[in-house]
Parts: sequence; C-alpha cells; structure tokens
Amino acid sequence: MTVTFPQKGLPWLLLLPQLLITAIFFLWPAEQALEQAFYQEDAFGLSREFIGLENFADLFSNPLYYQSILTTLVFSFSVAIVGMSVALLLAVMADRVIRGKLAYQTLLIWPYAVAPALAGVLWWILFDPSMGPIALWLKSAGVDWNHYLDGSQAMILVVIASTWKQISYNFLFFLAGLQAVPRSLIEAAAIDGASPFKRFWTIVFPLLSPTTFFLLVVNLVYAFFETFGVIDATTKGGPGQSTTTLVYKVFDDGFVGLDLGGSAAQSVVLMGIVGLMTVIQFRFIERKVQYS
Amino acid sequence: MTDVILEKVGKTYPNGYHAIPSVDLSIEEGEFIVLVGPSGCGKSTLLRMVAGLESISTGELRIRGERMNEKEPADRDIAMVFQNYALYPHMTVYDNMAYGLKNRGMAKDLIAEKVSDVAAMLGLTELLQRKPRQLSGGQRQRVAMGRAMVRDPKVFLFDEPLSNLDAKLRVQMRVEIRQLQRKLGTTTLYVTHDQVEAMTLADRLVVLNKGKAEQIGTPMDLYNKPATPFVAAFIGSPSMNLLDAHLTEQGITVSDELTLPLSHPHRGAIVWGIRPEHLDVSDEHNADFALRIQAVESLGAETLIHGKVETTSGQGDAMVVRLSGPHLPDINSLMWLKAPAQYWHLFDAVTQQRL
Amino acid sequence: MIENRPWLTFVSHATLLTGIALVALPVWMALVASTHPASAFGVGHIPLWFGDAGAETWGAVLFDKAGNGVDVPVWFMMLNSLIMALGITFGKIAISLLSAYAIVFFRFPFRNLCFWIIFMTLMLPVEVRIVPTYEVVANLDLLNSYTGLTLPLIASATATFLFRQCFLSIPGELVEAARMDGAGPWRFFFDILLPLSRTNIAALFVILFIYGWNQYLWPLLITTDDAYYTLVMSIKRMLSVTDGDIAWNQIMATTLLAMLPPVAVVIGMQKLFVKGLVDSEK
Ligand SMILES: Nc1ncnc2c1ncn2[C@@H]1O[C@H](COP(=O)(O)OP(=O)(O)O)[C@@H](O)[C@H]1O
Ligand SMILES: [Mg+2]
Repeated sequence: MTVTFPQKGLPWLLLLPQLLITAIFFLWPAEQALEQAFYQEDAFGLSREFIGLENFADLFSNPLYYQSILTTLVFSFSVAIVGMSVALLLAVMADRVIRGKLAYQTLLIWPYAVAPALAGVLWWILFDPSMGPIALWLKSAGVDWNHYLDGSQAMILVVIASTWKQISYNFLFFLAGLQAVPRSLIEAAAIDGASPFKRFWTIVFPLLSPTTFFLLVVNLVYAFFETFGVIDATTKGGPGQSTTTLVYKVFDDGFVGLDLGGSAAQSVVLMGIVGLMTVIQFRFIERKVQYS
Repeated sequence: MTDVILEKVGKTYPNGYHAIPSVDLSIEEGEFIVLVGPSGCGKSTLLRMVAGLESISTGELRIRGERMNEKEPADRDIAMVFQNYALYPHMTVYDNMAYGLKNRGMAKDLIAEKVSDVAAMLGLTELLQRKPRQLSGGQRQRVAMGRAMVRDPKVFLFDEPLSNLDAKLRVQMRVEIRQLQRKLGTTTLYVTHDQVEAMTLADRLVVLNKGKAEQIGTPMDLYNKPATPFVAAFIGSPSMNLLDAHLTEQGITVSDELTLPLSHPHRGAIVWGIRPEHLDVSDEHNADFALRIQAVESLGAETLIHGKVETTSGQGDAMVVRLSGPHLPDINSLMWLKAPAQYWHLFDAVTQQRL
Repeated sequence: MIENRPWLTFVSHATLLTGIALVALPVWMALVASTHPASAFGVGHIPLWFGDAGAETWGAVLFDKAGNGVDVPVWFMMLNSLIMALGITFGKIAISLLSAYAIVFFRFPFRNLCFWIIFMTLMLPVEVRIVPTYEVVANLDLLNSYTGLTLPLIASATATFLFRQCFLSIPGELVEAARMDGAGPWRFFFDILLPLSRTNIAALFVILFIYGWNQYLWPLLITTDDAYYTLVMSIKRMLSVTDGDIAWNQIMATTLLAMLPPVAVVIGMQKLFVKGLVDSEK
C-alpha cells in the first residue's frame, strides 16, 4: 500500500494531458472506425448510408481477407521462429566466450536501431533480381530469384528483412536469460558427465522457457504491428496479395483502395484482437507488479 | 505540563479492519513513552496517527492543547525516525538533514548553523558530504535521528528505529538515544516489539495487545504488578511462568493435584504466575513442589532450567527456573522448588484481570 | 568455463563472427554502393568494392538535395527527424511521468478507469486505426505541421507503466519522510521523485528516441510538403521515382545517414539502451 497525497483536484490536472491526447488521437479515431464500419461512404466522402453489418459480412466472405490472415500467420511465426533460433544460437555462443563478450554484443545489437523501412530497403536491394548481389549469386547457383513475380520469394524477403532487425532484441534477452542460469546447476550436470550439448538441451533450454515464451509473444506482436515499413518499402504487399498482412491491408484498402468502410471494419476487427491481447497482458503485468 | 493527549483514539482501516478500538494516553512534557507489543498489535498504527500519516477514525489527538486530527504531518511540529531510516538516497547527509528546514523557508545560514550543531552532537560532521549509500547502518541511523533533531520538534516519534542494526550496535544506539533525549528534553513516543529495549528506554510503557492498551506504567510497575497475564508474559525475560489453576478454600491447585496454601476470597478458575527468577531451590521437606528436569540452558552467569511439574499423572505444567551462576543438574532428575508467596501473581481466568 | 575444449571455443568465436558479418552485410553493401556514381548501377550488378565517387555523393545528398525527386538536403530532413524524435520523446516522458504520478500517489474516483483508458493505447498502434486517425488529424488541420508529426504519437502506455512500476518501488517511508519534512506534491515530485527516476528516464529516452526517429508511416501520410519531410520517410518518396531513373548511390547514402543517429545512440549508450529495453518489456 503506497502512501498518497490528499489533494483531490491535482491528480486530474496531472492526468489531463495524457487523457486529452488519448481521447483525441486514440478514442475518437477508434470511435470513428467503429462508425465507419457500419456505413458505406462514396469515394468523395460526400454522402454515406448506414449499412449495418454489411462491411463485416463482406469482409468475412472475402477470400482475400482469409488469405491475408494466413499470410499474417505464416509471416509472424516465420519471423518469430527464425529470429529466435538465430538469436539463441548467437547468445549461447556469446555466453560461452570469455573474451570480447561486450564487443560481440555491441556488434550484434545495433540493427535494433534501424528503422523497419530502411531494413526493408537494404535487403530489397541485396535481393534485387537485376542487380542485387545475393540474387545474382543465387542465379549462378541455379535459383531463379525474382521476388517481384514469385510470392513465396517475396515472403522470404520480408521475413529476412524483418528478422534481421529483431535478432538484436532476441539476442539481448536470451543472453540475459542464459546469464541468469545458476552456474551451480551446470557444474552439477558437468560432474554428472553430461556433454555440453546434452547440458544445453536438458538443463539450460528448459530453464530458458520463460524467456522463450516472452520473446515469442513480443516477436508475434512485432511481426503483426511493427513491420509495416518493411513491407511497404519492399513488396508493397505483392506480388498479388502474397505479402499483404492484416495491418498492411488496413492501410492498403483505406488509402490505396479507398474502401473506407472495409478498412474501418478491418480496424475494428484488429482492435478487437488487440483488446483481447490487452486484457491478457494486463493480467500478466498486474501479477508482475503485485510483488513489488 | 501535559504535552500530548490521546483521547479515545481509534482506527478503522478503509478495508474495514478495526486496528485500534480506543486508546487513552496522556504524555507529560519531556517524557519518554514506549509503545510495546507483539508484531501486528497496532503500534505503528497508533504512532502514525500521532504523526498524521494515518487519519484518526475516532477520538481526538491534542499536542500542547491544540487539536491535531485535521493537521498535515508537516504542520504538527513533530519529527519521525523510520525503521528503514528513509534517507533520501540522492541527497548528501547535509541535504537530508536540511531538507525539512529548506521547505519551511528557513534562511540558508541558519540552516547551516543548525545542521552543523546537530551533526557535531551526533558525530556526523565528517560525513556531511557523503551520500547515504556510503554510510554504515549505524551512521545512517544517526543521520535519520539528526534529520529529526534539526527540526527541533515538540515531539519525536520513533518506529522500531533499531531493528535493522546488529545486536551490539542496537545496545549502543539504545543508550545513545536515551542520553540524547535526556539532554534535549523532547517528548518522545517510541515503538518497539523488543521488551528489553522497551524496559531500558521508557519512562512509561504502554503495552498494546490487539489494539488495546493492556497496561500503562513505569517499567517497574509493569514488572512488579502486571495487570493481565498478557503483560505478565510479555514483560521480563525469560517470561513469567503462567499456569492454569483453581482457587479454593484450601488454596491454589495447579496441575490438577498440587495445592499451594492460600486464603483468598476469590473462587474458581485463575491463572497463577511466578517469574523464573523468583523460584528458589529447596529440599524435599521444605519444597512446595518438584520439577522433572527436561532441558538445561547454561549461559554462564545464569542457568535456565526447563521442566515439568512432577505429578502422579505425569501431565504437569511446564515451568522455567532461572538460577544465577552455573548449575549442571541431570536431565530427568527431580528438582525441589520453593515458590515464595510474595512473588505470586494471580489473575482471574475469565476477565484476565489481576486479583 | 567448466571444461577446456578449444575446438568449442573456436566454434563459438567463428559462429559469432559469421553472425556479425551477416548482420553487417546489408550496411556494407550500402556503404560500397554509395561510393559509386549513379551510372555504375545500370550495368546489371552492384559494385562489390569501394569506388571513388563517395565524397561527391555524400556531399550532394547531405548539403544539396537528396535526389530522386526529394528536393531538400539530408541535413534539413535530419533536422525535421530530430524535431519529431525529440518532440515525441520529451512529450511521452513528460505526460507519462505526470500520469504515473497521479495514478500512484493520489486516490481519486475513476482512477482505475483512467488506468484502463491509458492501457488501451498500449496495444492500439497507429497502424491499426490509421485511416480514422488520419482523418482526425486532417480535421484538426494538423497535416504538414510539427504538431501533427508529434502529438498523435506521444500518448504512451508503455512509458506510463514503466514509471508506474518505478514509482511503486519507491519505499513508502521515503514518501512519508518527505511529507513530514513539509514537501507538498510538487516539491516531492521535483525534489524526490524525478531525481530518483533519473536512470529510468534516461533509459527510456534512448528507446523513445529510436522509436521517434524511426517513424515511417505516420510522417509519410501527413506530410506532403518537403518542408516537413523526415529522413526515414523520404526514402519512400525517393523510391517512388519511375524505375529506370533511380539513383541508387544517393538512396544508399541517404539510408545510411538515416540510420546513423539511432545506431550511434544505441552503441554510445549501450548500457542505458539495454536497461531501457529490459525495463519496457511490456
Ligand atoms: N493500511 C492498512 N489497511 C488495513 N489493515 C492494516 C493496514 N495497515 C496495518 N493494518 C493492520 O493493522 C494491524 C496493526 O498493524 P501495525 O500497526 O502495523 O502493527 P505493528 O506495528 O504493531 O506491528 C495489523 O493487523 C495490520 O495487518
Ligand atoms: Mg510496525
């Protein structure tokens, strides 16, 4: 139980800036999205007509929407799994070395600071079919790389670019997790004759599971919401719809396709998902806060 | 002159917990009052009501005749020393001590003068530019006291200020606190759960039990004439032997079969008490009863003997005897004891009041 | 290490070095590319070793104009990015400190509701409700303005939570001591709370600066006037030139310059950065 001040009006004054900004830039747009989702607006925004759940009905009868859900899932889990595996490998190695740990850390974490859009541009050029060094090298190795035409290759490209940026984050948390594993446990296993690999899989990895789970959630959230820049700068959701994630589709349908009602309905669905995750996270955070 | 008056002061927490039913206490100017009782009995609650850190649910608090219930802590002219010292970690010792004076708008040179006076008194002069984390536990404790002293308050409040120190330092600081208080003559309210600390510091003690003041009096009053079995058990170490007993025409029956002659008008269930240091070793013919020895604690200067009152059923009550000097009786042997009647304490088993 | 297996140590170092090389590959390529004249890219490959046009390209994008249809120099957009990043960072820190202070140290009606409202913003990234937010900002006449670039992004539940946690960990006795010392709410805030939260604020500053600097979609939507272009979003404008005419060397130089400030912050303040990441783990 914390000690509090008795003032009654002051807390409102303190909260006012945050509440105002939240109301104007979060709640009002959210309300507008909700409203728009139930209306059909013409392209010039001059007239609109109430159509009830029709936007949602359209949405859920549109195979493209389901395809986008699938794309999002494939994309998100690929980013999470690839990124975490590579980061875990690097973290285990970095945890082993005695010399140069900090230097390795420094040289591995900087991509966190690179904007997703810039990450996208860099990898896009490396893979550009006509001049990218990697694409040319792949061609000479017999792979016909052209992510402008091949949906799976486009997906691989956005996964690589998104993962590249996220490895640093995963690496840092895995390294911290590894350093928290009690030395005595590993020593005990070594005395019991377990080889380094066996020790890792039977002792260290299970102890890392809270970190792994946490990172899985963070990576999925990242892939869901924060990779817009990567996709926009590389594939623009194409070819076809092969790299159009749900978040990209909201933007694409709204600003490019000018289907405001459909875009709003998607926003509402996404906000529902977000609300659900919020409740789950809230529980999680509250539990963490309790013992402090 | 009466300095602090608590009149039927009670506390109910917002969650409905009734921590203090009603406490009456008047404190003379310059008096050192110790609130003592087991953990959770409401000592801090009472102290914090005086400090103004908790609201007073019922009753009235007056300091020098002025009602304090509605006043902010800073306006009560009191100072408090906390258990964990509560020093501001980012400020130097000097700034820690000066902060309260600065907030009151005192002139800078006057502050400097006051702080250096108090620092000199506490031997902190060399440490004024250090941060709290660069100090030892005892030094932090002193700074916390210095911070209270510079304010020159009407009342000092202490909440278990020594419980984070090691045993040796605790004794040393205890003596120091008492000396300082005598020198300054400031009325003091001091909370502790340690009865030794309470006995050695207090002019008067308030023994709290479940939010009720069981007894208020000088340490010797409480030792000689505890008002209830609770006080009897709490004051004195090792604690008083308290046995369930019956008072009849013949006297007091303990452990169902042993009778100690006494003529007393009261009848029925009582609690019979005698302190371990008041039991004397005797022989089979002059003794009041025998103890079957179960354990011996040799402390050098004194010996504590734990045993059971010897009865035919073997179900006698447990007792402790305190003897001065070394003794090495055999475990399981019998020890004959005399319990002089002038040291007996009798309490009504139902009302728990002293008879 | 528990046992001495030289080959394992060798494998560790080799893996790490490979990792570092792969991670650095795109930046290496960009660096090399930026040292060649635009004409070098037409011939079907990107040069793999440094050319001699580096100074020219970098000088041109930095001080003349970024090229590819963006007619303002990079230093100018850097300034815009800096204004936006600092605006977002200071704004977020300020309003989060205040609201966390209100929530932790005061009791008032609807406190939990306020908490929940703030919490909603945690998981409502601007991308999710991009269309209506754009409309709101357009209605408020904030397109092409610094206010429009920063204000909608400064409500942050993450920062509020971080400060809430930090405040909750401050011992109650310290607050009580301050009250006995006559410190009112403001004095307590400035004399005790802010100094005690210093490292948390600094750590958060690093994370938020990166966040602010790297904003892409939002500035892209609401700025159509070069005067408000930020560096990261200008890349998109540069890329939308019809294919054949893209000057890759300029794009690469601009990209590198766009990532330079946040990368420098991460490397220069590595300790604070790591602390910020770990603290704001949602
Ligand atoms: N803020 C509170 N709300 C409800 N109950 C409390 C609160 N603070 C203390 N209590 C309860 O009041 C009783 C007395 O507490 P306290 O005065 O701290 O005891 P002491 O200091 O004697 O150990 C305890 O049972 C405690 O659980
Ligand atoms: Mg207490």
